[in-house]
Amino acid sequence: MPPKDDPETAKLRKELEDLMNKIKDEQKKVADTTFADACASVADAPKVRMITRKNLKGHINKVNSVHYSGDNRHAVSGSLDGKLIIWDTWTGNKIQVIPLRSSWVMSVAFSPSGNFVACGGMDNMCTVYDVNNRDATGAAKITRELMGYEGFLSSCRFVDDNHLITGSGDMKITHWDLEKNAKIMDFEGHNGDVVSMSLAPDSNTYVTGSVDQSCKLWDTRSKDCKQVFFGHTADVNCVCFHPSGQAFGTGSEDKTARLYDLRSDQQVAQYAPPNGNSGFTSCALSSSGRFIMCGSDDNSVHIWDTLKVQHNGQLTGHENRITSISMSQNGMALCSASWDNNVRVWG
Amino acid sequence: MVTMNSDKSAGRRRMEESGNQTTAQGSGSQSSQGHGQGGGMGALRPPSVRVAMGFGGGVPSVAEAALAAAEAATPAAGHRPTLLQAKEDNPNAGVYKKMEAIIERMQDENTGVPVKTVKSLMAKIPSVFTGADLIQWTMKNLDIDDISEALHLGHLMASHGYLFPIDDHVLTVKNDNTFYRFQTPFFWPSNMWEPENTDYAVYLCKRTMQNKTRLELADYEAENLARLQKMFSRKWEFIFMQAEAQSKVDKRRDKLERKVLDSQERAFWDVHRPVPGCVNTTEINIKKICSNSTKLMTMPAATPAQLISRQIQMLKQRLDRRNIKLSKVAESYISYFEQYQEYDPFLTPTEVQNPWLSDSAEFWDYEKQVKDVSARRVKRWAFSLKELLADPAGREHFGKFLDKEFSGENLKFWEAVQAMKTLPQAEVADETKRMWEEFLGPDAGIPINVDGKSFEATKKNVEENPDRWAYDEAAAHVFHLMKTDSYSRYLRSDMYKDFLSGSKKKTSVKGIRSIVSFSGRKEAGAT
Repeated sequence: MPPKDDPETAKLRKELEDLMNKIKDEQKKVADTTFADACASVADAPKVRMITRKNLKGHINKVNSVHYSGDNRHAVSGSLDGKLIIWDTWTGNKIQVIPLRSSWVMSVAFSPSGNFVACGGMDNMCTVYDVNNRDATGAAKITRELMGYEGFLSSCRFVDDNHLITGSGDMKITHWDLEKNAKIMDFEGHNGDVVSMSLAPDSNTYVTGSVDQSCKLWDTRSKDCKQVFFGHTADVNCVCFHPSGQAFGTGSEDKTARLYDLRSDQQVAQYAPPNGNSGFTSCALSSSGRFIMCGSDDNSVHIWDTLKVQHNGQLTGHENRITSISMSQNGMALCSASWDNNVRVWG
Repeated sequence: MVTMNSDKSAGRRRMEESGNQTTAQGSGSQSSQGHGQGGGMGALRPPSVRVAMGFGGGVPSVAEAALAAAEAATPAAGHRPTLLQAKEDNPNAGVYKKMEAIIERMQDENTGVPVKTVKSLMAKIPSVFTGADLIQWTMKNLDIDDISEALHLGHLMASHGYLFPIDDHVLTVKNDNTFYRFQTPFFWPSNMWEPENTDYAVYLCKRTMQNKTRLELADYEAENLARLQKMFSRKWEFIFMQAEAQSKVDKRRDKLERKVLDSQERAFWDVHRPVPGCVNTTEINIKKICSNSTKLMTMPAATPAQLISRQIQMLKQRLDRRNIKLSKVAESYISYFEQYQEYDPFLTPTEVQNPWLSDSAEFWDYEKQVKDVSARRVKRWAFSLKELLADPAGREHFGKFLDKEFSGENLKFWEAVQAMKTLPQAEVADETKRMWEEFLGPDAGIPINVDGKSFEATKKNVEENPDRWAYDEAAAHVFHLMKTDSYSRYLRSDMYKDFLSGSKKKTSVKGIRSIVSFSGRKEAGAT
């Protein structure tokens, strides 16, 4: 914070603070009970018994991102070895290996239809590949190269086969029309890098998480932020929508995971790891919203009972930091990508 | 006796060369895009080598042509310029600066660490100093009393590759008569090296060509080489050619100079591709370094006053929101969970065998099929209209019901609107026109029934701004109609009930029920 403000700024700052306090009061008014108390009548959840069903080996460098296709079976992973691999997570076979122009891939996305994958990273662009078409060398065909970013590409998600939303290190959120190969709109979404993005189940809204420690809710059709959520005290590394579309989970560098509710406009629950010492890089919610899973830099995936705010267990097996996890749409399997070069499928 | 002087001047010379090289390469990339793009491979050879390969002279040689081809094949390293710009923003920049200041003092001719050329049995070992000397100097000059403290400092500088033991891959400092050497500034980590695997492959390949007894590859290096050879199998010829060219240049050098250069290059790779078990000091979480650098660059874009007023605007809006009480929210989650727990594979076993548990692929076919739908699936249709429409079987069945009620056009219209959202942009305008004629226009084929307000809004949309969302309002209205009217009637209809009971016969729900009951609410008496 600058040491001295001119009077105008100081006044504004004061106003901001007042407003903040007012909002906090409002939130307190609404928070008539704690989440754990409200859910006390629910029976305890059984312990989640998941084990590694498949250990997908094939990358020869850190795997940075993984994402499930809408068919609940295929997943794409992107690694610093400069390859995307499309896996059949059930058989463990590689369906396709896509060599990239730049090896610095940070984010991958599968279109819900399973026809396209998008990836991007420190090459400051987003590349879309058509999985069903091959170019002359036999690799998947590049259908679009989306450029114009001033920072690295940190997240991308398909709304459908023709519509992609990306978040990038230049704080911008960009909507692309893939058919026209044109930007629909782009705007500064955050005061820091946009790191993560999650589409609502009905695809009409999405949330973004940023290193500015806030999460924001957006409409896919407009540039205006619908809601802002504060609370985290460090970078929000991951956001993930609740299947009901009324809430979202977050995983953060500040060693907590949280659940934010859209209707009550605030954080409703906070999940801390038992050792209090693991930062979170990724998160996912089970299909009934009862469990939240968070990939951690302590090499394991932590699971909590969302309603009773209890630690339910952790999945161990990876030998290095977990960078990304993805839950299949039917909630049957979980994919995790790690710096140990492997992708694991849990079920 | 050769002293440090000659070595240092060599180092300086290399620095200058490296400066020239970057300009030379810069101009080269202007003339031919191919080279500029593939900075990945070209950027990392020691400068002297590059001169020999014709980059500086501008006379293309066979080797260069090969290199250019190889570069074209290499994935473009678009990140490098940004990284170089980010030199100052590297989180380690401060540490590097401090260490470099110390190194400079150590290399001072008069007051620095005594650097000698040592004669051993047959050969001379040029420009080295002993660990004991280094520790002594550190304690004397850097205000350190504790010997372990001095050792730690030495170890840190060694682990970043500023100085290195001449015949050990493990970069550390011992307080004895082991020989150490200074790294040339060209290879300092502050230059933001991000060497590619291709560079490493060339280096390892070159090592195999040199005098075998002296420079044999360590086990882990041999393994790396084998792995890289597999990985770059198609490009291996180029890599081999490059290595050959480099090794030829090396051979022409003075023997002592070559010894120094070899060891410096080896130390460089020990830093960037460390022996297994050693810490890689140059490795940073790239997500974070990027975020740090962009933050610094972009923050001053807006004045604080602007930022704050923007925030105030937003917060004011937020105050106007009416929020729901937390207890209500919690309730909604609980009911959501209760409704869906039956469908969460973590809580209730799936009715078709879970492919992950049973090794049977039956599941994947089951999801797609429209016939033989289980009771559990049919029950889900009653949750909401959305659920019903999400299931292909449900949509089909609901469509049949609507046709019976003579209101099938509602679903058709809604489906058409959904389909339009995934249409190619080029076809959207035509499709909006077609839909207008089919559903809403004066002589529509299958007219739908919407209220005046959404009709007017849609009409305006179609005339002024026919995009893929033009019908959203009308669709929302139709959806609402279906939800409040047809859907509830559908659920009460015999058609749905028959379907539900018909499907019940096929699968036993009993088994599922018994499993489900455990996670329902606790008995009232228990709480």
